[in-house]
Amino acid sequence: MSQARSYDAIIAGGGHNGLTAGAYLARAGLSVLVVERSDIVGGAAVSRELEPGWTYSNCSYVCSLLRPEVARDLDLARHGLQVIPYTGGASFTKGGEYFAYHHDQRALEREIARLSPRDVEGYERFARAVTRQCRFVRPLLLRSAPDPASFHPRDLGELLFLLRRLHDLGEREMGEAVRFWTASVGDFLDGFIEHPLIKAHLAGSGIIGTGLGVYSPGTAYVLLHHYMGDLDGAIGAWGFARGGMGAVSAALAGALRAAGGEIRVNAEVERILVKDGAAAGVVLKGGEEIRAPLVASNMDAKRTFLGCVEPGALPDDFLDAVRRFRIRGSSAKLNIALDGPPVFPAVKGEAPFLSGDLHASESLLELEAAYDDWKEGRFSAAPYFDMLIPSRIDPTMAPPGAHMASIFVQYAPYDLARDGVRDPAHWDEAAREGLKAAVLDKIEAVSPGFRGLIRHSELRAPVDIEREVGLSEGNIFQGELTFDQLLFNRPVPGWARHRSPLPGLWLVGSSAHPGGGVMAAAGANAAREILRDMKRGGRDEAAFRAA
Amino acid sequence: MSRAPSLSGPLPGPFHPRLEAASTAKDWADWAGVLSPRKLDATGREYFAIRNQAALIDISPMRKYRIEGPEAERVLNRVVTRDVAKIAPGRVGYALWCDEDGMAIDDGTIFRLGPERFRLCCQERMLTWLIDAAEGLDAAVSDETEALAALALQGPTSFSVLEAAGLQVSSLRPFDLAEPEPGLLVSRTGFTGDLGYELWIATEHALALWDRLIEAGRVFGILPAGMEALDMARIEAGFPMTGFDFQSIHAAERPSRGRTPFELGLGRHVDFAKGHFNGRRALLALKEEPPKRRLVTLDIDGSRAASGALLYRRGMFGRWREVGHVTSALWSPTAKRNVAFAEIEGEAEGADLFAEIYLFKEGKWERRMARARPGPRAAFRPDRARATPPARR
Amino acid sequence: MAERLKAAVIGAGVNGLVAAAALARGGCEVTVIERGAAPGGMMALGLFARGPHPAALEALGLKPGALGPAIPTVALCPSGRHVLVEGAEARFADGSAHPGAERWRVLSRRLDRFAAALAPLLTGAPPPMRLRAEGLPGLLRFALRLRLLGARDMRELLRIGLSNAADLAADALPEGPLAGLLAFDSVLGSRAGPMAPGTVVPLLLRRAPLRRMEGLAARLAAASEGKGARLRLGAGAARILFEDDRAHGVLLDDGERVEADLVLSSLGAAQTLALAGPALFDIEAQRRIGAIRAQGAAARVDLDFAAPPRLPGLDPAHHGARLVLAPSVQAVEPAYDPVKYGRLPALPVMEGRIDGARLSLTVQCVPHDAPRDRIVAATLAALETVAPGLGGEVRHAGALSPADIEAMTGAPGGHWHHGEIALDQFLTLRPANGMARHAMGPPGLFLCGAGAHPGGDVTGLPGLNGARAALEAMR
Repeated sequence: MSQARSYDAIIAGGGHNGLTAGAYLARAGLSVLVVERSDIVGGAAVSRELEPGWTYSNCSYVCSLLRPEVARDLDLARHGLQVIPYTGGASFTKGGEYFAYHHDQRALEREIARLSPRDVEGYERFARAVTRQCRFVRPLLLRSAPDPASFHPRDLGELLFLLRRLHDLGEREMGEAVRFWTASVGDFLDGFIEHPLIKAHLAGSGIIGTGLGVYSPGTAYVLLHHYMGDLDGAIGAWGFARGGMGAVSAALAGALRAAGGEIRVNAEVERILVKDGAAAGVVLKGGEEIRAPLVASNMDAKRTFLGCVEPGALPDDFLDAVRRFRIRGSSAKLNIALDGPPVFPAVKGEAPFLSGDLHASESLLELEAAYDDWKEGRFSAAPYFDMLIPSRIDPTMAPPGAHMASIFVQYAPYDLARDGVRDPAHWDEAAREGLKAAVLDKIEAVSPGFRGLIRHSELRAPVDIEREVGLSEGNIFQGELTFDQLLFNRPVPGWARHRSPLPGLWLVGSSAHPGGGVMAAAGANAAREILRDMKRGGRDEAAFRAA
Repeated sequence: MSRAPSLSGPLPGPFHPRLEAASTAKDWADWAGVLSPRKLDATGREYFAIRNQAALIDISPMRKYRIEGPEAERVLNRVVTRDVAKIAPGRVGYALWCDEDGMAIDDGTIFRLGPERFRLCCQERMLTWLIDAAEGLDAAVSDETEALAALALQGPTSFSVLEAAGLQVSSLRPFDLAEPEPGLLVSRTGFTGDLGYELWIATEHALALWDRLIEAGRVFGILPAGMEALDMARIEAGFPMTGFDFQSIHAAERPSRGRTPFELGLGRHVDFAKGHFNGRRALLALKEEPPKRRLVTLDIDGSRAASGALLYRRGMFGRWREVGHVTSALWSPTAKRNVAFAEIEGEAEGADLFAEIYLFKEGKWERRMARARPGPRAAFRPDRARATPPARR
Repeated sequence: MAERLKAAVIGAGVNGLVAAAALARGGCEVTVIERGAAPGGMMALGLFARGPHPAALEALGLKPGALGPAIPTVALCPSGRHVLVEGAEARFADGSAHPGAERWRVLSRRLDRFAAALAPLLTGAPPPMRLRAEGLPGLLRFALRLRLLGARDMRELLRIGLSNAADLAADALPEGPLAGLLAFDSVLGSRAGPMAPGTVVPLLLRRAPLRRMEGLAARLAAASEGKGARLRLGAGAARILFEDDRAHGVLLDDGERVEADLVLSSLGAAQTLALAGPALFDIEAQRRIGAIRAQGAAARVDLDFAAPPRLPGLDPAHHGARLVLAPSVQAVEPAYDPVKYGRLPALPVMEGRIDGARLSLTVQCVPHDAPRDRIVAATLAALETVAPGLGGEVRHAGALSPADIEAMTGAPGGHWHHGEIALDQFLTLRPANGMARHAMGPPGLFLCGAGAHPGGDVTGLPGLNGARAALEAMR
């Protein structure tokens, strides 16, 4: 066994949240080591060149809600991060019709009116309702979730903050807020908009990455993730990281290193070291021990507590609760290197909205049926997909004239059913080809000739994402974003503040509040909690308060 | 079916070819999705055309809705706070309408084209609102915004222009409407407080009407005018405007921005005796409370328009206490007053107020606390606006 | 002494009758207006009841004991190893121990505790969204009871209250008829599958013991009349009358006018709005009412045999029990899926009972206007899984689709609860935002049906709460 080295803190897993937490801790003066089992940092936010000349953002593919406070605190622009906004998107039908989502208000009004004149007002009402909820929710993202069962002054304070904000909404809006948080995206949209294609376009963001359908209660609020970025004209909240998602991770790694933090790749945590009832470091695969009184895990809750902590170190009821935490694989990823630009005959010529998110789902019921397939253990026969062609905006993604398509596919079960048996091993070559064909059939129907442009492609089933990135079941949010697993319930009731029953072991990934997406909020919140715990807040604490 | 992708921004309206030709300033704005001139040449000249000659203003971007059927009156009475039954056929009436909490959605004019035919003109989109108001009632609602072009002909010589154009409107009293020719509706209405008319015609005949009025008006000094001149005239005339002097609750992301008719000084347009209308029960309760804020008109010292100024009063120990803000402001070239619409806290009404005005003076910003006194609702509304038949010039 | 207040109650279902009794006890002169020839409303179609709630019984002047004995449930299993469930106790129908019995007991007790904590929210006004006097005591009692649960249980309630029945079953029970029973009870009468978030709530509302329904309507009607309510049968409400923006009475189909200072409607909110005329409502309220989800997915099926039907493994002694055919969670969830697209499932789930030679069933997952013969066929297909050959013995079969039930009873969409019980249509949001305190629009008009707070099943609580709200408003 090699001589144990020691640090103030070890971050187990170099995903974007781990790097964020590490950077904050390093800036506060701690000696920090990030250990990452892969050959590059980033977790699901990586760029790889699988075909020479083409950059693949293999897993996560858009910079959704990267908290501007984090980008500012860590000076990510200086470390090379540039987020280029994409504007608009479109949904196509097999019949040659389409709905284009324009960011320009007038163009959007006219586009809605073209399909359904009444829906112009319906969309206005819808957007206003969502924006009102965004205003309410946004300040909660960078706060800790209170534990309603606790009498601790901080919990009571946070609970009071939450209740006061609710109360300030006024009675009717408060009712609307509760409805928004509990309704399905389908029912919510049905209350505003008539045209099926417009609804299908807007509903997609309510189901991405979740094991829920458009008519499952609790999916409406996920719309916030799409709208939050548009608030206050914060342009660029949704966009492509120039150079692919790896650029986000590279910038965070840069910030970490600039603050004195260290990173070790090809270093997989085998288990978390426990000494005298507290975390004491990690043991890497191969047996190397690294000591630290503080271990912050960027792995999901199940992998951390069930997979890496020796039995007996954590109380049984906590482990039971972790087992109950739902992490379901529901999505796959298809990355394609294209020899030329895909053509959509419905649209004449060049259109800015083709640089946004493209879909081919025509109605809410079509999306719901895709979910029913998943429940039964099948990948969707007519899957929902979210296709982006980042090379239309970022010239570094593909050789000149060529393109890169990044296609997020919903739904794909982790444990595929075959003859009534569900097993991830069923994801063999035939299954992969089947899912790929289902997606390409849909694309080909709205973009004839697409197949002919394919130079290289890779399909990543949930089981691949789990194997490569380490996310349980390949779930991109490290746990379902259902309301029984949000706020004070995330990941485990009573342990929502990044802590665990094992002193010194912390959770910094999106299994913790406020959940998934490349937001960096969980990592930043965790770092704040850790620093508060160490009473070493200092300037960073102040920076948080200011933010 | 394939179509070219939509362009961004506003699109040309029915009079655009003439506006484009008349525009030397090339100063365009977006009015409800229609490319509209802020000014065509010079705002000052266009303003004085309103007050001295006749100004021709494209008001086609107004939303226009047709409500027709045996229960059309009931539909409108369900929506607006005034009693629509009191608008006789051939008359136009001002109205405003509120949401369920009694917060103003918009205001506009109701044209009673016949016993069972109405047109509602306003700023906000109201199609689905009207359709839902018609639920269970025997009336049809349609959007005429794009089918119908509209011109405002405003100013002391406007009557003479119409007469010279061969349109017989001498008997029209204020708020009357007539159809002097098939397909052309003329109402004696406007947003300037001066003598003036509004003309309504199918979009395909828009340009011919423009040409006819310009030709007839040449000797009466007719001048195309833009939105800035119109805005000056309406502030002088004391007409508050949705989106500027108050926020439509339907367009408010912050629910607290809603304002009641009482707060807007429009309580006289709320008729509790006519039966239920949207927001009636909420307004009935609010009527008993002193308004939290008031939209008032102010007369401010000095000649610098107080646009966007915060309003203060002296508080304890002589410290300034913020009590409101200016919503629209203008140095009135005709009344020679520095006038403004302002929203102030209810309890600040009647107090000594000061407007905080920032002045850029040769490279340096200076702050002036200008005294603001209650002003008349209208700084300028000449008698000629009401004479029937109007004077010829 | 001032003249007595007059109240008209529209509909003589359980809630109308409870409301009438409560109003009469509150000093009103009450007329109950019922379109049908007999009181009872949807009770005529139901098989079992867990209520009325003790608070509603008290309003009626009835003792809980008056309702007859509680009956057990038999969860049917295709293997023939049916499970007999009596409250928190479960065993195989043949009397042998069930391996999941202990877990069932633990889960049942836990749900009982949670239901008790929730109770103050159901028997009064829903929690106020602003800190106001009304409803505040209930909220404080709720908060107190939550605290008294202890930190662990409180957290667990807040978690599972927002969770779904399928996950709850997966965490607590072995897959099979017991878990299926839990899943079935979570969606009975609803248009949802047990995997839908929010489906634990109905379980918390359904903790009282089950009894047979027959005779209940007549008993409740008699009790209501005993409290002084007048039943006016055989004429429905044609219009609710208003004067000077106040409810003033009800015009009946036959032309009679019932004068009233208070009008309580146990119909759905949309039906009530139509009777009053939409012009009396704000457009927002009309929109919210229009958006209430109330599409029934439960059908009634009656199968007649030459002799009492025999189900393998079922002791005839248990013919009087509630029979539930929902063999697993995995059977309940897919049964629901086809309904979304207007199709009947191949194997619907159901509850029923055997009376002599008749098998009466409430069949779940039926599209609103499904043809009756198809409903019967799907029902028989499911029954064949536990009783092969049963279909061939049927002499006569009758079915009522949700559309039929709607036509017969006036229930919105033929829905058991007059509106889906989901988190976005519960408590302060039931029947819709701004109407949860039973007042809807014009003063003097109140909702007191299953669509109102706290919701459906035979509890009488919406009637009781509606009557209380109406009396409160007159004070």
